[in-house]
Amino acid sequence: MAFLLRSISRSAEGREIVRTSRVDDDLLKVGRDPDSDVHLNDLAVALHHASLEQVSPTRLGVSAEMGMTVDIDGSTTQFGQIDLNVGGTIKVGPFLLRVLAVELGSEDVAIDVSRPESDEEDDRFDTRRFALQSVMPGKRAMAWTLTLGVLALFLAWPIWSFFANRGDAQQTATGFHADRLWSSGSLSASHSGLRDNCQACHVTPFVPVQDESCKACHTAVHDHADPSRLQQSTPNLGGIRRLQQSVGNLFGQGPGRCVECHTEHEGPQEIPPTPQQFCADCHTDIRSRLPDTRLASAANFETAHPEFQPSVLIQWDNERPQMRRVALGPNARERSNLKFPHDLHLAPRGGVAQMARRLAPRFGFGDAMQCADCHVPSPDGVRFQPVDMEGDCGMCHSLAFDELGGTLRTLRHGSPAQVIGDIRSLYRAGGPQRPEELSAGARNRPGDVNQIRAAVQFARARASLGSRADQAIRAVFSQGGACFDCHEVVQPPAGTLNYGIRPVAFPTRYMLHGWFDHRAHGIVQRPGQARVEGSAACASCHRAPTSGQASDLLLPDLTSCRACHGGESTSLPVASTCAMCHDFHMDGGTPAMLLRRTVRGRRWETTVTPIRPQPRPAAAQRR
Amino acid sequence: MASRGLQASGLSEGTAHESFLRYRKYRWLKIGAILSLLTVIIYLFVDVQPRHNGGSWLGYLLGTIGALLIFWLAMLGIRKRAMTRGRWSLKAWTSAHVYLGLALIVVGTLHSGFQFGWNVHTLAYALMMLVIVSGIYGISVYGLLPQGLSDSRSEMTGPQMIHSINQLDKQIQISAQPLSDEDSAVVIGSLGEDPFGGGVWRRLSGAYPRCGNGAALRVIRARHDEATGKEAQALDQVLQLLEKKAAGLQRLRGYIRRRALLEVWLFVHIPLTFVLIAALVAHVVSVFFYW
Repeated sequence: MAFLLRSISRSAEGREIVRTSRVDDDLLKVGRDPDSDVHLNDLAVALHHASLEQVSPTRLGVSAEMGMTVDIDGSTTQFGQIDLNVGGTIKVGPFLLRVLAVELGSEDVAIDVSRPESDEEDDRFDTRRFALQSVMPGKRAMAWTLTLGVLALFLAWPIWSFFANRGDAQQTATGFHADRLWSSGSLSASHSGLRDNCQACHVTPFVPVQDESCKACHTAVHDHADPSRLQQSTPNLGGIRRLQQSVGNLFGQGPGRCVECHTEHEGPQEIPPTPQQFCADCHTDIRSRLPDTRLASAANFETAHPEFQPSVLIQWDNERPQMRRVALGPNARERSNLKFPHDLHLAPRGGVAQMARRLAPRFGFGDAMQCADCHVPSPDGVRFQPVDMEGDCGMCHSLAFDELGGTLRTLRHGSPAQVIGDIRSLYRAGGPQRPEELSAGARNRPGDVNQIRAAVQFARARASLGSRADQAIRAVFSQGGACFDCHEVVQPPAGTLNYGIRPVAFPTRYMLHGWFDHRAHGIVQRPGQARVEGSAACASCHRAPTSGQASDLLLPDLTSCRACHGGESTSLPVASTCAMCHDFHMDGGTPAMLLRRTVRGRRWETTVTPIRPQPRPAAAQRR
Repeated sequence: MASRGLQASGLSEGTAHESFLRYRKYRWLKIGAILSLLTVIIYLFVDVQPRHNGGSWLGYLLGTIGALLIFWLAMLGIRKRAMTRGRWSLKAWTSAHVYLGLALIVVGTLHSGFQFGWNVHTLAYALMMLVIVSGIYGISVYGLLPQGLSDSRSEMTGPQMIHSINQLDKQIQISAQPLSDEDSAVVIGSLGEDPFGGGVWRRLSGAYPRCGNGAALRVIRARHDEATGKEAQALDQVLQLLEKKAAGLQRLRGYIRRRALLEVWLFVHIPLTFVLIAALVAHVVSVFFYW
């Protein structure tokens, strides 16, 4: 038998070139080795790649060398057979060996050897591949994908989130919501709890945040003034600000909205102290724009601030105290209906001081009376509690009138009728016994004379007792008496002893629109003077040690405050903006600025820091 | 197109070949600089409480200018397809595109008030900056690279370079016939090496550490040192061809690298412009949705 080989190749023009050869052998060696029967000159073919052997008249065995494979009729294998009646194809590397079906009567096996063209070459060396585009995703595809991604993630999702959670306060308050992707910055420290709840403030789409949203929580905050008057008092704006405001008005962002001052999404910051200029803008010459205002102009505490006008009790309408704001000055008076000489009580020598020394072991007085012996601060230390007679005066000014088994009986303070009754009862209780002769069931000596005598004597004794009670009552309500010394006494109607006492009242707060904290002034150091505390600190502002009348208005004036307090920028020890004493929203309590300072642990201590807690005043200890 | 101006001018003097960068004695550079300077001055002198932000009147103003600029700058893609002469020539338009695009850095940054966060607003800003920076990169490489681009090709065209490598492959195929199976397997690695293989990073870096030809070169060089006689002769021939191919590949890949460096910015600049416009729309809508 023999193998008939036809080697088919193509010329440059595509013409087929066929070379035939004959191998007279049963075994056909295929490989790159030039000695092979079928010499395949490609490096993908091993030197000795495979061998073909006729194993029977109709079968051709194909076996690849160790580690090599061939492709027989499409399946990759190491060994295989081809039915010579049918023929088959063997692929070795890039070459194709086509075994043709053996013709009847022939013993020769015809094999066509060819190398099919592949398009791979062309593709590998396509000049378009020089461009970067060949390895990049298309620009258009990238643009579309990313654009739609951004729109979906940052526009559609948040809008969906808004409508999905609308009006459900419980749901919106917790967890992540896509509209947070829109947050332009962290909320302020105090609003940080709302970070998951955009709709707490942003209620309606495309409508600016309304004051109603703020007022939903801040129920106690009120306007600085009537909005129309507020606008009237605002000075003429500069060109840009006026334009800004008119543009704002156009979009429903009118002036005076909460968010105009209280801006949000500016980071976890705290509300900054209100600058002086913020107030001065309108208040510098407020009367020129608001002629009917009762407010005087103010721009700077140090240089432009009206004298204090405390609300003072100036007179009485019968029992009703009448308050009026008065300018502080040497002639300012108040009418409390009390008699009290501060100078006498605070004198370091004299009767009062001596009494204080004598009672020191019992009440903790010093060498002389101190302010704190009578004046008890309110629990917050800001102001003082109203003076209480029994607690604050009673240590010295005793109302005792009788002693029973070691217990002192005192007159009822605040109730003149009760006082009169108590005195009368004292004298009646100590009176003569009713003679037996006057009793109906008594066994009397015969004769009316005795009974008459007893009656006369008894009547006399009783009459003298009554006149002694009247005397005592008159004494208590007259000069030198317990009531008269401190109170305005109302004389009794003729023929009676129904004495009265004029009512007593003090304002608990003189400055209703300004804030003053006594605790912060417990230690005072005026420029160029020694540091003082206690009564001396009080006296550095209040001229009590020289006041002989209770009607003296002992409030310090502007000049006194200005010794330490200057404007926003000042050479004085305490730079003071308007906000230190006044609050924009006019709350009666502590100005927000001072509250915030306190909350943040940065309390302003006027002169000396830190102020140690004051010892409880002696008067307070007694209680 | 941006390259056209530079290549035409060759950075030479004379109005006939004035580049778009120098158009009318840097007219648009001056306009861009004035816009930036004015913006900075206003920013510094306007007292916005509590601090500068996009929601102040200045913020809105700068934001409007910025948004209009972005839309106008993006119009170049449409405009460049229609060439005209004169004041609104494509060259003038491109010049303005470059310098106003640079001024947008100032306008956009001051609009932000330097407040950044993980939100849609900063996303828009970041995309804007990416687009601008890619544009700056594009202009820079168009100014620097084309000279090296023709140098690197050694006066050859692209097809010529491919052809020379193809020829070398054929020669290697023939020369390697006597080699042992192990050696020929290595040489096949060289033949199978795709000169254009590898992704974007390979192209940009020009580094092909797993190059089949490089590997073949190393192995055959070592084999050549220890071989003798006829085998050494064959290996010597293959080695020389592999070295030639290495030089050819280096030339071709150097050229591809320069092309990639030259073209890569467009794959950032153009798609991101559209993404930027999407982010800008989301930014503007979100601001007014939650006013």
